[in-house]
Amino acid sequence: MARRSLLDRFAKLSTLPVKLGERIGLFDHVPEGLAPGEKPPRHTFRWDLDKTYLRTEFDSLADLAKNAMQDAADKQAYPGASALLRALSKEDGHRICIVSGSPTQMRQVLAAKLTLDGIDYDEFVLKNNLKNILRGRFRSLRAQIPYKLPAMLQSRCGAAAECETLFGDDAEADAIIYCLYADLLAGRVSLSDLERVLIASRAYDDDASRILALARRVPKSDAVKRMFIHLDRRSPPNGFLRFGARLVPVFNYFQAALVLYQDKVLSARQVIFVALEMIDSKQYELGSLATSVQDIIRRGRVTRETALALSEEAGEAAKSGALSGRDDLPPFEQIANAFRTRVRELGDTTPPPWNDQEQLDYVRLVDEEHEHRRSRRKQGMG
Amino acid sequence: MPAMHRIVVDAMGGDLAPDEIVQGAAEASLQLGNVELILVGDAAVLGRQLPQLRHDGSRVRVHHAPTFVEMDEKPAEALAAKPDASIVIAADLVARGEGDALVSAGNTGASVLACARRWTLLEGVSKSALAAVFPTELRRGEKDDPFSLILDVGATVDVSAEDLVGFAVMGSAYAKLVSNNRRPRVALLSNGTEPNKGPANVIAAHAALVETTELNFIGNIEGLDIPRGVADVVVTSGFVGNVVLKMLEGVSETVVRLARYAHKERLAWRLGLVALSSAIDQLKSITDWQQYGGAPLLGFTHPFIKAHGRSNARAVTNAIKVAHKALAGNLCGNIARTMAELDDRAQRGNRARTESSGAMAPTEG
Repeated sequence: MARRSLLDRFAKLSTLPVKLGERIGLFDHVPEGLAPGEKPPRHTFRWDLDKTYLRTEFDSLADLAKNAMQDAADKQAYPGASALLRALSKEDGHRICIVSGSPTQMRQVLAAKLTLDGIDYDEFVLKNNLKNILRGRFRSLRAQIPYKLPAMLQSRCGAAAECETLFGDDAEADAIIYCLYADLLAGRVSLSDLERVLIASRAYDDDASRILALARRVPKSDAVKRMFIHLDRRSPPNGFLRFGARLVPVFNYFQAALVLYQDKVLSARQVIFVALEMIDSKQYELGSLATSVQDIIRRGRVTRETALALSEEAGEAAKSGALSGRDDLPPFEQIANAFRTRVRELGDTTPPPWNDQEQLDYVRLVDEEHEHRRSRRKQGMG
Repeated sequence: MPAMHRIVVDAMGGDLAPDEIVQGAAEASLQLGNVELILVGDAAVLGRQLPQLRHDGSRVRVHHAPTFVEMDEKPAEALAAKPDASIVIAADLVARGEGDALVSAGNTGASVLACARRWTLLEGVSKSALAAVFPTELRRGEKDDPFSLILDVGATVDVSAEDLVGFAVMGSAYAKLVSNNRRPRVALLSNGTEPNKGPANVIAAHAALVETTELNFIGNIEGLDIPRGVADVVVTSGFVGNVVLKMLEGVSETVVRLARYAHKERLAWRLGLVALSSAIDQLKSITDWQQYGGAPLLGFTHPFIKAHGRSNARAVTNAIKVAHKALAGNLCGNIARTMAELDDRAQRGNRARTESSGAMAPTEG
């Protein structure tokens, strides 16, 4: 026992220089892959943090300063996000990987926030912006693709899962990066196409070479089954149609939970817990959750049958105690009825059919994203 | 979390429906914190349009209605022929307690009729009144509002003195809330400023309103005082109000046509108009009805905001904001309270009169 404790202490001490090095911009944090003999994960969930998990404003310098000064307890997760992430992390064979554009100096605060929220994660990668500044790589400060794509490829090289689900937001280029990553793994994007995308993304030459090397050796399969884009800016959902049915824009995490229930990743009981966290946040009530169900059905992302099946199963879960101690809520049958009514309000209308997905032109998407970002900057919107 | 206000929007009503109506509602969902918007109309059409717009999907829902009343249809006939029209279903939702207020830019007659048939009048209110806003020379309230309120403009053709007093109470409560006007000046429209001028119901209403302390009643005004803005709330019967409103609209259209004619006809007149263009633009911005959103149908237990038939997205957003303000400020509750106070005062007055006449009556025996 004493020996193990000594080993633990030594292990902690041995990582200290790396942690310090990362803090002062000397080293990059490389996520640990699987331990020798460890079984590969069944399902990997990759999460962005800012505007996806955490309610963060960084549209102005004042916002950036405020973020840097905030304590872990002051940081706020979006309602339902913690419950969803907790539910996903609790399952056997699930791996939680966080890739954030926040600077490495915020690791301690962000890690503390995740701990406060009861989230167990396997990987946590942050952006080494100090290193970028010290090396005069100012383009890298804002670059998204040359940062996130290799971080995700590196992570998959260390621990490749059969399935992957990705969570991002509509503030940056998450939809493009996630689809590019998915298509790379599935072999739908060639290395020469990737090279063209990296040039369009203004990646530095050595970064581009490293990304291409990672793309060559990453375990290939059509692993990315689902991508969620949290509509933090309330962008029009149809703006994401071109990315196909696999990418679902969501207004809140109840909608994400519904899709994951349909995908058989979450149980009805786990969906209830996401809903309860949202109600407890005081930012949602039963009516707005029911409206969220209607919205996602209308958009053809969840079927009516799924919503009705969830209502049945959730009823069973409620009977078995999922709602015990919740005297603030009406009886479950009343809740389920409200949800069914919202579905009925749609009449006999059917959602628009999905067109066959065309191959995405990533170079054009990257150019459009740069143009969009430039125009937002001109308008003073970050 | 403050109580969520559920505002029902007739998404198919209006010259520019459903596109501009949906766009206005989508924008309102982003601007207003505690509002749920229920868009009533063809679910397939609305469901295609909403995802193309920035909006909050957890606060905008769709309620299917297969038909709608056209702008030029006869109200009673249209409602009889189309019991599943969007305005009927919208009014029903509010009547059933599934919505708190209604906004429509559709056929005015059909909207008023749909509400009148399904909604209940506030206690103490005998007739509903449709109000309209009109740009005036003088401004009012904390917001320097350039509009005065005129009611009724068509909901009730024949009115009694009590009805006119009720309209005064309702108009005053609305102006107080929407224009942030603490003591709106309320006037009766007549053919002279003297208390004894006008038909019997107006003379009797004047006598009753003079007694009230709840209202800032300034007496009678004449038609020419309306555009001057002498009163913030102009009270009249639905018949007279409708004639006045149509005449004011006609005058305004004629002025615009004359200006167009002048612009075409002579260079000197055109130059004159160009020289005045900035002033004309300013005048246009002051009298821009789109910023006002809509006018209310008052007297029911729920607010109904009737937006202009030609409402674009901005006007619809503003109409929804007015409905939200009416709910947040408990407009209907305030009207009911004032009506109860007036009723109480009238009863006390009657009791006092009975007692004094009883005391003076000769004893028998």
